[in-house]
This record gives sequence, C-alpha cells and structure tokens, in this order.
Amino acid sequence: MKFWGTILLLPGLLLAQPEFFGYFESEADVMQLGSTRYNFGYNKFRLDVEVRPSDNVLIGANINIQQYWGKTTWNIFDFVPGYAESGLVLNVDLPDTLLLDNFYMKLSFPRFDLTVGRQQISPGVGYAWNPTDIFNSKSLLDPSYEQTGVKALRLEIPLGDRALFTAIAQPEAEIEQSTQQYAFNVGLGRFDFSLTGSLQERVDYSVPILGDMNIKQRMMLGGGLVGELLGWGLWAEFSTNDLEMESPFATFDYSNLSPLTPLPDQTFTEYVLGTDHTFDNSLYFMAEYFHNGLGVAEKDELSPADYLASLGGQSHSLMQDYVFMYAMHPTFDFVTLSTLLFANLNDNSGTFAPQLDWNAFEDTNISLQGSLFWGDDDTEFGLQDWGLRLRVRSDF
Amino acid sequence: MKTKLLIFILLSISAVFSQTPTAVDIVDRVTNVMSPENTYSKGTQTIITSSGKERVFEFESWSAGKGESSLTRYTKPAAIRGQAFLMLNNADDIWSYFPRTKRVRKLASHAKKQKMQGSDFTYEDMGGGDVFQTKFTPTLLGEETRDGDLVWQVELIGIPDLEPPYPKIILWVRQSDYFPVTLDYFNESGYNTKSLVLSDIEMIENYPTAMTMVMTDNKERSSTTMRNLEITYAWEPPKGFFSERNLKK
Repeated sequence: MKFWGTILLLPGLLLAQPEFFGYFESEADVMQLGSTRYNFGYNKFRLDVEVRPSDNVLIGANINIQQYWGKTTWNIFDFVPGYAESGLVLNVDLPDTLLLDNFYMKLSFPRFDLTVGRQQISPGVGYAWNPTDIFNSKSLLDPSYEQTGVKALRLEIPLGDRALFTAIAQPEAEIEQSTQQYAFNVGLGRFDFSLTGSLQERVDYSVPILGDMNIKQRMMLGGGLVGELLGWGLWAEFSTNDLEMESPFATFDYSNLSPLTPLPDQTFTEYVLGTDHTFDNSLYFMAEYFHNGLGVAEKDELSPADYLASLGGQSHSLMQDYVFMYAMHPTFDFVTLSTLLFANLNDNSGTFAPQLDWNAFEDTNISLQGSLFWGDDDTEFGLQDWGLRLRVRSDF
Repeated sequence: MKTKLLIFILLSISAVFSQTPTAVDIVDRVTNVMSPENTYSKGTQTIITSSGKERVFEFESWSAGKGESSLTRYTKPAAIRGQAFLMLNNADDIWSYFPRTKRVRKLASHAKKQKMQGSDFTYEDMGGGDVFQTKFTPTLLGEETRDGDLVWQVELIGIPDLEPPYPKIILWVRQSDYFPVTLDYFNESGYNTKSLVLSDIEMIENYPTAMTMVMTDNKERSSTTMRNLEITYAWEPPKGFFSERNLKK
C-alpha cells in the first residue's frame, strides 16, 4: 500500500520541481580510554528533498544512511567510573542505519503556519544546553550538530512582527499521553523574551540494564531572554519541572552494583546563563553556565544508576553545575581556529578541545578536533584521556 | 546703469546656483540616492583571498524603509543554502536562521562586526538607512576628477557616543548625481583598512545603481565583489515580511 502511495505521489512531486540537496560526511575518531585506544567512525550520506507545490505549501524530507566502522560495540560500564574493570558488560551496538528522518509538510495560511510530520524542533536560546528543550539532547563536543526529527504537529501564529505563539503536540498512541508544548515569544526593545510551558503525560526512558523507567507526568514551565548589555550578547533560559514517577527503580540489584534507591517525585530547576562578544580583531568568544537541579551535587553521591539514567537521556546532565566556553577566530584564508572547553564544576573534571576548520573546496569542509580530558579517574570526564576527531563533509 | 544692474543680478543668481553645497547637504543627498524606499535584488558575492582562492555565493535580498529593515537569504553554495539574516533598525537587531537545525538565533549588535560568510563585508556594511547622517560629522575636504567624473571628497568622523561603524570614512561623491563612487574606511589609528568601489552604475527606476561593488581589505589583501544580477525598487513588502516567521521560510 505504501509502495502504491509513493508511486501515485511521485508524478506530483516531480511536477512540482523538487530540489535535492544534502551532504556526505565521513568521520574518523581515536580515543584513549584508560589503557585502551579505540578507533571508530562513520560514513554518512544525507539526502534532502524539498517540494513547493504552491507558495503556501512546503513538503520536506530527508533520508540518512549511516555506516559505522571500527569499534561499533561499546560497553556502557567502560564509561562508569569504578566499573571499567569490573567485568560487567552492557553492550550497546551501533548498527548501520537507513533512516527516514524529517518528513513533513508546512502549510502557510495568512494568519498562521501549520507543520505536520517529523520535523526539527529546537526550542530555547542556550547554545550547549536548553532547559526548555524536552525533545532533544546535545553533544557538548558539537552542540550545534543537527538533531533527529520529532513527530509532531506545530502551529505557529504570528502576533505582530515580533511576537509569535507556538503550540506543539507530539502524538502518542493514546491521546492523553501526547506531549504538549506552548511557547510565546515577544521582542521588546533590544531583547527577545519567551515563555514556555509543556506537559508530558508519560515519558518512557529506556535506561540500560534498568529497563524502562516511566514518568507518569512531567510539567515544565520555563522561559528565556536574549539581548545585549554593554556590548556583550546576553541570554538566559530556565525551566522548573515537576516529575511524578510512576514506576521508579525500586528493587533493582545487579551483581556488585549497589542497590539503587527509588527515585521519588521531584521538583527541580534548570537554568543557563550565557554571554558572547566579537572583538575588533574578529575573535568571537562565548561562555555559558548551566545548573541542573536534577543532577547529583556531590561526586560521592553518584551511583551507576545516575550514569546509566543520564546516558539514557533522563537528565540534561549527570551533575549539577557546568561551564562551557567557546572561542573562534577566522585566522587564515578559509581556515577557522576555534577551541571549546567544558567543565563539570562539581567533580572538577572537564575537556579542552581545540579545532581547525578548513573550507578546502567550495562546499567541502575538513575539520580536525583534539580533546584533552582532565579530572580524577572517578570523575565524569577524567575517565577519558584524550581523543582526536577528523571529519570531512561535502555538501551538494 | 540698467545694463550694470542686469549683469549684477545675473551674476548674483549664477553665484547662488553654482554655490558648492555644504558637507551636510551632500551627505543628505547621498543618503537619499543610496536609500530607495524598498529594494529587491538577486546577486552574487565573490570572495578572492590574498592567495587568490575564490568562493562564490548567491543570495536574494529584500529591504524596506530606506534600508532600515532587510532580509538576506543565501541560495548558493550548498553548504549554506537557506541560511538567512534578518536585520531591523539599521542592523542594530540581527537574527540568523540555520535551516539544518531550523533554529533562529538573535545576534547581539557586536555580531555586526563579523564578516558576512567570510567576505570583506560586515553585516554592518550591509545595513542601509541614515547612518551617515546620524552617526557622523561630515566635512567637505575638496573636489577633484575621478575617472572623468567631478567628485567631492567628504570626510565623515564618527560620533563616539553613537557607536559609529567606523571611526572615519572618506566618501568620493559624484557631483552629477550625488552617487558615492568610493568609500575609504579608517580605523582608530588612521589606517585605511578597507575601500569600497562602486561601479557599472546604471539608472534603475530613477535611482543610480551600482551593479558592481568591490570591497578591498587593505590589510588582508583580500577582496569581495558583489554583483547585482537583478534589482528592482518597485517591490512592495507584504505585511509581516520582515519577521521571524518569514526568516524561516
């Protein structure tokens, strides 16, 4: 049926003069973890198509084909301090994938836009962290990398040139379980403000070993602002969250692991404060501070469950307080030198990652990133030693 | 006696009409000539580095309110296809849109000093409006002939409290139509950091229009050429055109 549907739609799509574009990306990584050095990487091909049957309709889709090479099976316990040599094994495989990622239709009516389908949703003004983003999680080594799409309906109603109301619904099998998010953005003077509220009736996190963890209800109220003060860019984003747990980890016990404590219902706050500036010599500098009330405050209080739950996406971070810094300078012809640094302020571990980006040919970029980790062996980042990443990307 | 009186009157009238305008008058006229109410254009931006490497970009651009509001969307190369910039209040407020992440980000005003896609133009250079009138004090330095045209040389000294884009600019303004043919930009040390030369001037819908603009970075020895492939001043912005909603289209 899907086949015939595609066949029937195809002439219409072709008549509407589709635009094809995308990229090929290849990445090679080396990582020193304890006494072991790992090689891994991937080749990725992304093909986008956009069709505009009329001025008011946009249909977009993309497929990603990704092949991994080198080490493609990782033991999660290698990343849990104190358990790397424990003999415990929890393998996560990275299989080759063919993914229909974004797949949406945007209808532009005179007074509102409606986007239906799997689409990019990127709420929030923070760069490395977004407390109001309940849809995505970011990599600190590459916070601006594209996210996978979210199956959703999005309604955007402009209220004047600088005000926008957005409603997002992420449907689930039962309508009462659907995620809802509402946002109101308004520009006042040199600042943009936003208020965001969301309700998730049921969130299932697939936590390694521990299985599914179900949050019965999550309510989030947040907001943000972005503007400038004394010539420096300034932004802030916050959220207060209520988690009502349905089936917390109550009785789990696994070999040598400590018994896990049940997670009670929780109320917590997250916020990001950020600033940036471009100096006269074109040096760009950015810094962010992140506080996550759901994170663990003291290193000694960390349990393997915290690591596993963090890796499973339950929380925006493992511990409570972090900083992120980024500096970038267009140093030579089509060569940009940059460095980023992030640190866990609770366990005094972190990463320093210088990077070189070279626009070698039109539409082809080569980047080389090194990463040096610091901190004790029982810390979040100190567990790793160093890494090297080479990425080549050619757009078409 | 009557003849002497007539000659005197004719000479007086002639003197009045041939009087050199003041620097303020010239800058006012330049601003009018350079700032049509609305503009739509398609163009290319070619960057040539000091080592001779070349990159070509293509874009569409819309502006309104004599350049107070503008929107620029890149169509080529593929790596930045769909990237767009919305500038309001003469580029005091800038939003950027990245299609890959569908994210709109408000940039602080310091971002105006950043190079547009690595070119020799900054976002600030692209902002139109009345910046010459409001943020500089003009002085007429003299006149000379350039490429066969009689031009005035006008010095613009930035008013520090108003955060001018450059401490000093020297304009070379064609006397025939008040069109600036060269702009020299200076830094605090008095060094001529960049020069903009406007050429291939055509009359488009009653406005003299430079079809070619070359910005040269005198320190980096690089240059960026912007060419208008298509331009009209008859475009009328629909309601809500200069908005975040349209930035994402």
